[in-house]
Amino acid sequence: MLTIDGSTGEGGGQILRTTLSLSLITQTPVRITSIRKGRARPGLMRQHLTSVQAAAQVGRAEVSGAALGSQEVVFRPTAIVAGEHTFRVGSAGSTTLVLQTVLPALLRAPAPSTLTLEGGTHNPMAPPFDFLDLAYLPLVRRMGPEITATLVTPGFYPAGGGLARVSIAPVPALAPLELLSRGELRGRRAVATVANLPSAVALRELDAAAAVLGWEPACFRPSVLRGGHGPGNVITIVVESEHVTEVFTGFGERGVRAESVGAKAAEEARDYLAAGVPVGEHLADQLLLPIALAGRGAFRTVRPSSHTTTHLQLLRDLLGIRASVEPISEGAWHIEIGR
Amino acid sequence: MTRKSTVVLGMLGPTLDTGKTPERWSRWRPSVALCQHEDLIVDRFELLYQRRFDALAGTVMGDVRHASPETDIRGHVVEVDDPWDFEAVYGALHDFARAYPFAPDREDYLIHITTGTHVAQICLFLLTESRYFPGRLIQTSPPKRDRTELAAGSFTIIDLDLSKYDRIASRFQKEQREGVSFLKSGIDTRNAGYNRLIERIEHVAIASRAPILLMGPTGAGKSQLARKIYDLKKGRRQVSGDFVDLNCATIRGDGAMSSLFGHTKGSFTGALKDRPGLLRKAHEGVLFLDEIGELGADEQAMLLRAIEEKAFLPVGSDREVRSEFQLLAGTNRDLSQEVAAGRFREDLLARINLWTFRLPGLRERVEDIEPNLDYELDASARLLGVRITMSRDARERFLRFSTSREALWPGNFRDLNAAVTRMATLAPGGRIGPPIVEEEIARLSEAWRPAPAAGGAGGGEDGEDLVLAALGARRAAALDPFDRAQLAEVLRVLKGARSLSEAGRVLFAASRAKKKSVNDADRLRKYLARFEIEWSEVAGGG
Repeated sequence: MLTIDGSTGEGGGQILRTTLSLSLITQTPVRITSIRKGRARPGLMRQHLTSVQAAAQVGRAEVSGAALGSQEVVFRPTAIVAGEHTFRVGSAGSTTLVLQTVLPALLRAPAPSTLTLEGGTHNPMAPPFDFLDLAYLPLVRRMGPEITATLVTPGFYPAGGGLARVSIAPVPALAPLELLSRGELRGRRAVATVANLPSAVALRELDAAAAVLGWEPACFRPSVLRGGHGPGNVITIVVESEHVTEVFTGFGERGVRAESVGAKAAEEARDYLAAGVPVGEHLADQLLLPIALAGRGAFRTVRPSSHTTTHLQLLRDLLGIRASVEPISEGAWHIEIGR
Repeated sequence: MTRKSTVVLGMLGPTLDTGKTPERWSRWRPSVALCQHEDLIVDRFELLYQRRFDALAGTVMGDVRHASPETDIRGHVVEVDDPWDFEAVYGALHDFARAYPFAPDREDYLIHITTGTHVAQICLFLLTESRYFPGRLIQTSPPKRDRTELAAGSFTIIDLDLSKYDRIASRFQKEQREGVSFLKSGIDTRNAGYNRLIERIEHVAIASRAPILLMGPTGAGKSQLARKIYDLKKGRRQVSGDFVDLNCATIRGDGAMSSLFGHTKGSFTGALKDRPGLLRKAHEGVLFLDEIGELGADEQAMLLRAIEEKAFLPVGSDREVRSEFQLLAGTNRDLSQEVAAGRFREDLLARINLWTFRLPGLRERVEDIEPNLDYELDASARLLGVRITMSRDARERFLRFSTSREALWPGNFRDLNAAVTRMATLAPGGRIGPPIVEEEIARLSEAWRPAPAAGGAGGGEDGEDLVLAALGARRAAALDPFDRAQLAEVLRVLKGARSLSEAGRVLFAASRAKKKSVNDADRLRKYLARFEIEWSEVAGGG
């Protein structure tokens, strides 16, 4: 059995989720130790437990140590169960993190799957649905599998209560991915969504974003939702290029001015455009695993985060891949993965 | 490893949990927030509410299911007309607790006390503290303003089992050690059995208001201990009344009833004014009845009633008087023997010997003579107002004698106290040297020398041997010379008699001459029973 020290690198929930994903794909039992060691509340928190349980469901796994506060989990998958799965996630967690954990295994499963995800879809602590749908999944599709994701109802933190459906048509092997340039800029837009909140909030965010980005007014659009659960607010800035689409997100929070939410997301988008690379910080992190599964690939991105380096190290250890991370110019890095 | 399910029991908060519009999700609602924590999963939530808050309960339950799919939330209507009426709320919650199928071996219960009226919170606390709710309290708080916390806020689990807290437990241990030390008058006793006994007495004295029976030979320290128990309870604010003590051997006849239970003016000749009686004086305090075996039959009956009903009739009164007191009783007799002999009420004994402690005599704890010697020296010093010291060889000599077989200590600690008082008083300049000790040893040896049997034609030594044979040296030593001489003569006669009746005819010759028929044998058998001696054990062969 493989033992992974859960406290290495960034040492949080990500190392747990990636390990579970890889254990599912390789059908290798793993023991994850020192989970979230040294944190104020060490061990598994509820959102981590949700991922463990989802992985156990998909992997028909035998699990020990799956309890709140547990710092060691032993996970023994016995299969990859394709087909219909429903995951109900409490408002404190995020459905996208659950999807992230189980998706890689289902990409290469023997049969198609349909996932129903209930709970939070827009949570400041997790990748928002729009990012997965617009930035991440198109690149995964480019590697072979057919995936469609539909947001039926958004679920904003803290009420949650969203609903999303994901269907996956797997392929036996993923094709390599190379993403070295953005290509020509095709479109750009900023959408500020408010649910059960005054539309002025959205307009203020958009004004602030416009001031940073200087795009023409037609690029900025408010979206006002009524009904559903709870209040929610998110600004999503989308940059569509020939080879890649990137998404930048800002979450409205109690006590934070709408202007600063809008400006902060816009600054990220502006910096991405200035860096001239195709892949932003969060997308870089997401792409590593599918490329490692494909066995080969490369992309250019901004300065790698600690999440990214932790992730790469884990992939080296678990899949035996080689990876190089090289700066190529001011603010641009080249990441290459091979056998 | 199977995890216990976490079950929350809580009241719906008509104020804090309220909200109908989507905006409610921006507010902190304790019952919903409780199910939104990252480090707490509520498997089941039993939500108690009044019927008039039906709609709100529905919203809250829906929101909990929504925010926490892991939680099975169930509503329970608990009807209370006035949620600020302590009695009504307590009753309703008590009913709920009694009816609820708690399974603490499989489930962990958390009692949510953040919602509901203050009265409801107090009731939940009391019911948890008394284990009707076999769980821990959980208190929730809204997120702090600095937003370092998520929307769920924070929670604190409070276990009312105070022994689970190290610092509190050590406080209690310290308090208990102080209590034990206090009961021992600060004497650092070494006898393990005695130390265990006092620890147990401390525990019972603090935890119980039931009668306590202290057994043990004369001078073993029953009265002092009773007084100390009272002082300890008073110090812990468990009693507010007085300590009232009485040696039952000192009251006899008509006066006995009256001194215990009081009388009304004119109830008998000489009753010139009302007398409250000792039981009434002990109201809300402690009544210590030493030598309780000496109490007459009428007094026993009245005392039993006073203990059971906390009420009794003063002599000459037709109005009952109430008095609540804790009874401590002392005896140097075996009360079950007294019951067997028909001299003590069985029901009264049953009532007072719930907690029976037998204090050992001094000879059973010779290792404690030294610390008691120091204590008595200090006590004498305080009494005499001079510093009393004992030279090293004097001390060694005294201890060697005190712990030897020759030292009988029939009066136990009373004897030790007397010996030290004498030595301290006689010590020149407060310094006890070997001559003073030698003089005291001679005095004690003389006092403890077996008394010659009274009267009788010869055979005195004979009778004394018989006493030792029948009782053993220790019990024989505990006898007063008065009883010892009498018993020696009785045993001497029995030895020479063929039956109890024959011995009775000799021993009760004078009274036989005056009366027509006397059951001498029975009288003799009862006499022997007082010493736990059977006729068959001492019968002569002849």
